[in-house]
This record gives sequence, structure tokens and C-alpha cells, in this order.
Amino acid sequence: MTATATGPLLEVRDLHMTFGGIRAVQGISFQVAEGETLGLIGPNGAGKTTVFNMIMAELKPTSGEIWFKGENITRVPTYERVKRGIARTYQVPQPFAEMSVGANIRVGMAPDDIWKLVSEGADHAAEADIGRSVGFSGEQIDMLPSELAMGDLRRLEMARNVAVSPRLLLLDEVFAGLTLREIGQISELLVEKKRKDGLTYIIVSHDLRALAPLVDRVIVMSFGEVIAEGTFDDVVRDEAVRDAYLGQ
Amino acid sequence: MAIDRETLRYLGWWLAFGVLMCLLPFVVGTGTLRILIFAHFLAMFAMSWDFLSGRTGYISFGHPFLIGIAGYTTAILSFRFDVPIYYSIPAAIVATMVGGTLFFLPALRIRGTYFALVTLAFMEILYQLTKVVAPKITGGTRGISGLEAIVTGAVNNYYLSFGIMFAIGVVLWLLIRTRLGIALSAIRMNEEAVRSTGHNTTKLKLFAFTVSAAVSGIGGAFYVHYIGSIAPRGMFEINFLFTILVAALLGGAETIIGPIMGAYFLTVLLEYLRPVMPGMERYLLYGGIALVLYVVRPEGIYSIIVDAGRKVQEWRR
Ligand SMILES: Nc1ncnc2c1ncn2[C@@H]1O[C@H](COP(=O)(O)OP(=O)(O)OP(=O)(O)O)[C@@H](O)[C@H]1O
Ligand SMILES: [Mg+2]
Repeated sequence: MTATATGPLLEVRDLHMTFGGIRAVQGISFQVAEGETLGLIGPNGAGKTTVFNMIMAELKPTSGEIWFKGENITRVPTYERVKRGIARTYQVPQPFAEMSVGANIRVGMAPDDIWKLVSEGADHAAEADIGRSVGFSGEQIDMLPSELAMGDLRRLEMARNVAVSPRLLLLDEVFAGLTLREIGQISELLVEKKRKDGLTYIIVSHDLRALAPLVDRVIVMSFGEVIAEGTFDDVVRDEAVRDAYLGQ
Repeated sequence: MAIDRETLRYLGWWLAFGVLMCLLPFVVGTGTLRILIFAHFLAMFAMSWDFLSGRTGYISFGHPFLIGIAGYTTAILSFRFDVPIYYSIPAAIVATMVGGTLFFLPALRIRGTYFALVTLAFMEILYQLTKVVAPKITGGTRGISGLEAIVTGAVNNYYLSFGIMFAIGVVLWLLIRTRLGIALSAIRMNEEAVRSTGHNTTKLKLFAFTVSAAVSGIGGAFYVHYIGSIAPRGMFEINFLFTILVAALLGGAETIIGPIMGAYFLTVLLEYLRPVMPGMERYLLYGGIALVLYVVRPEGIYSIIVDAGRKVQEWRR
């Protein structure tokens, strides 16, 4: 398909999500180009996580379409979307709690093929490589998630995502609960991964100061709708955006 | 399959266990052997439960449903239709695997308590069905007795049941050591996150259900030919289900060797309690013991033994 070369990497068209009576997302449309970093911001409950859940097929949109690399993936299940190159982190990290960091990465690296899962052993060296690439020390590889600080848990989610070799990474509140130092490290990591692997990011963050240097463009959501779009500097000066944040 | 050094070392332990159990008939009487035969069947059921519920976290309260399918299939085929047991037993195992698929359907949508209750309902439905549908074939409430034995005598049956249990144990244990075992455990911890690392969890769950059903099928089919009869009451009684669950949990779920130990422990315990408490209080007491052990040591007997082994090693140094 020629559209792949020129069109956007991801496009969502008029997404709606209604939970019972709550209209969490009411007609969101946007595009992300390959290699771009898009910021997705908005006050609490604006619908950001819900948009991520729909892009990952963890929620089925009430209506609307999702296109990836020129293909309509609206009906494609989560694991197939991952294989096509979309991955996410969770606002509240979701590690496999009873498994070491290494084993968590192992699940990410494991092929979706029962025969291969049984017949081929784990590649511990590759696991350690991925662990190191997100900044884990050698001994941390054997630690349990319960022994890790928040910054390391966010790293672990990154590692599990790196293991599935995504093209598009959805990062939900990657800076929440981190110290300034950890924020710096995660930011560096994101920049580094992007430089090396040409990843595309959509970053949700309440920490606008941490977000600003990373993003090419920002979309602002409020009550399930897009209320502003543009460069970071443009949107923070926007009247509607200021109102939305102040009204919080 | 990648057999690393650690796997080899553990396989050595399995081998030692196998040799030891094979020597047992030379030292103990047939009475003890008959008790241990029951332990072997219980171990198969507990391992089957463990592979499904201990791994994936889909708690089954309906394993007697699977065991019952196997038992009734081979009983009816061999007794009513004179099918040789060489065919009726494999047919029973296949039928159980199909039954396992049925079992799996609710797991597509629900988990946790709801799933457990649905599986309990499966068991209850089969219970009622065997009593009322075609009693001429199923034997109704009285069931079928006089089933053909595969081998005769306590010693032969001991070796047969141990051999099957041992083979199942080693295969399941090797399976859970692979990346497949890790993926199944990950489902228990966080199914959504498994999906978002690119796994078709439906396929993984279906695999676990089918393997679990196959093991229940093997156990159930051989079991009814060993005891020579099958009846709805014994098969679908809550006590039977309870015994399987307790054996699996007591031994230490998700270890495969745990359920085997749990089965031995429980069978021997029940047997020694029999003269003291002939009635149902026995179950109450062992339920109590199981509960205490579970509260004190949720990881089960297996972990106690591992710990004790470590202590002995430290002490010798
Ligand atoms: N599974 C659900 N069931 C019912 N309501 C939901 C569900 N998920 C989200 N909501 C509701 O949808 C709205 C949007 O929630 P969402 O989590 O997407 O917001 P958010 O922008 O990510 O907020 P935050 O910044 O607090 O993370 C909220 O009103 C929330 O309560
Ligand atoms: Mg959110």
C-alpha cells in the first residue's frame, strides 16, 4: 500500500466511548506521523487513558475507527495490534508481580506460538541486554517488582515494551510518582530509544515541564473532546486550555 | 527443549523418587500399596487441577466434571458396548479433552469467583444428567459396576498407577519450566498485561484447559477400571472435589511436585483417621488441618520440605 509510505502511522477517526451514562470520549480524531512525539494532555478524567485503551483494543470503542500503517485495525485484537507494532505502558505500572524483572522481560520476548514457547529456551543474555538498555543493573534483573522503586517499575514497563519491538509506544503518565532525578533518567531513556530505534511516541503526562522538551506537538483533551492542538507553547497559552486546567 | 543444568539436577531428584517408589512393594504390604494407589490417582487429579488453576489462576470447582466424562465414557463403552478397553480408554481421554473445551468457553468472558461457580455448575449438571438421562446406559443413580480391570493385584496396580502418575508428573513439570509455563503464570498475575505483550491469551488458556483435561481424562479412565465401578454419587460429590483441591493446595500449588506430595499426605492421613473417625468427621478434621497448614504455610508442604532440606545443609556445615 502506498499510503503507508506517506500517510500517518496512526490515525484515530471520531472515536467515541460511553460507559453506561458517562461519555468518556466524545469524537476524538487525530493523526501521528512516523517518528513524531505527540503529547496528550488534559485534566483528570478527560479521557486520555480511555483513548489509549481503545488504541490497544483493551476497550472496544462505541464508535469510530483506528488506522495503523494505512490499515483499518478497529477490529484487530490486542495481541495482533502488538505484533503490528503498537505497545503501551500503564498509568499504574502492571508488572507480573511474582516474577523477577528478567522473567517479566521474558514474557515480553516470548513468541506467540505454543510450540516455540515449549521447544525454545529463554535467551537470558537478550533479556539482560533489554534490561540494561532501559537502565537496570545486573542485580536488579533478579529482583521482584515489589523490591523496585516507582522509577524502576516504569523502566520495567519500558523494558517489556522494548521486548516486543514496537513502532508506536503509548506512554501513560510515565513521569507520575517519580523523583526529579528519575524523571530526568526516563526522559533521557525516551530520547535515546527514539534516536536509536526511530520510535513514535504518544505521551500522556500531567507533568508539563517534563513533557515540554520531548514533544513535537500537543493535543489537549477535556471532557472527552479535543479542545486545542498545536505546539507546546501554543497550547499552554490557549485560553480554553487555561480554563480547562483552572476549572479542575 | 532446553535442558539446563538445574533441570538435570531436578530430574535426578525425580529419578530418585521413581526408584524409591518402585522399591516400595518389596518392603510394605499390599494394604499400604492399596492406599498408595489411591494417592496416585488423587495426585493425577490434583496435578490436572494445578496445571490449570494453579498456573493460570482460573480456579476450577468442576474437575469432577472432567473426571466424570472420562469415567463414564470408558465405563459405558466397555461395559455396555463391549468396546475393548484399549479403545475405550483413549476414547475417554479424547472425550474429556472435548469436555475441557466446553469448560473453557466461560473462561473467555469471566474469571475469578464467577468462573469457579460456573465450573461447579458444570459438575452439578453432569451429576443430574447421569442420574436421569438414559439410566439404562449410565446405570442411573446406582451407576455401573463390574468394570474390566486392566491389571490385577495390588502390586501390579501399584506399578501401573505410579507409572502413569510419574510420567504425567515429569511431563507437566517439564512443561511448566518452559517459557510456556511462565506465560501461563503471567496470565494468573495479569491477563491484560499478557495480551498487551503480544500474546493470544485465548490460545494459551485453551492449551492449559486441554492439557488439564487430558490429565483428568487419563486419571479418570484408569481410576474407574481400577475400582471397577462408577456411580454419580461418589464421582460428583463435593467431598471428592474438596479432596482434589486440598491435595493441590496443601502440597503447594504451581509446583507439580507439590500436588503429588499433597496427595500422598492426604491419603495417608485419611487412612490413619479411618479407625478413629469412621464417619464424615474425618473430612471435617482434615479440612481443619488443611486450613491451618494453609494459613501457616500458604506455599504448602513442598516449601516446608525445601526449607527443612536447606536447614539440614546449613547445620551440617
Ligand atoms: N472502565 C470504565 N468504566 C466506567 N467509567 C470509566 C471507565 N474507564 C474510565 N471511565 C471514566 O471515563 C472518564 C475518563 O477516564 P480516563 O481514565 O480516560 O481519564 P484520564 O484522562 O486518563 O484521567 P487521569 O488524568 O485521571 O488519568 C472518567 O470519568 C472515568 O471515570
Ligand atoms: Mg489516565
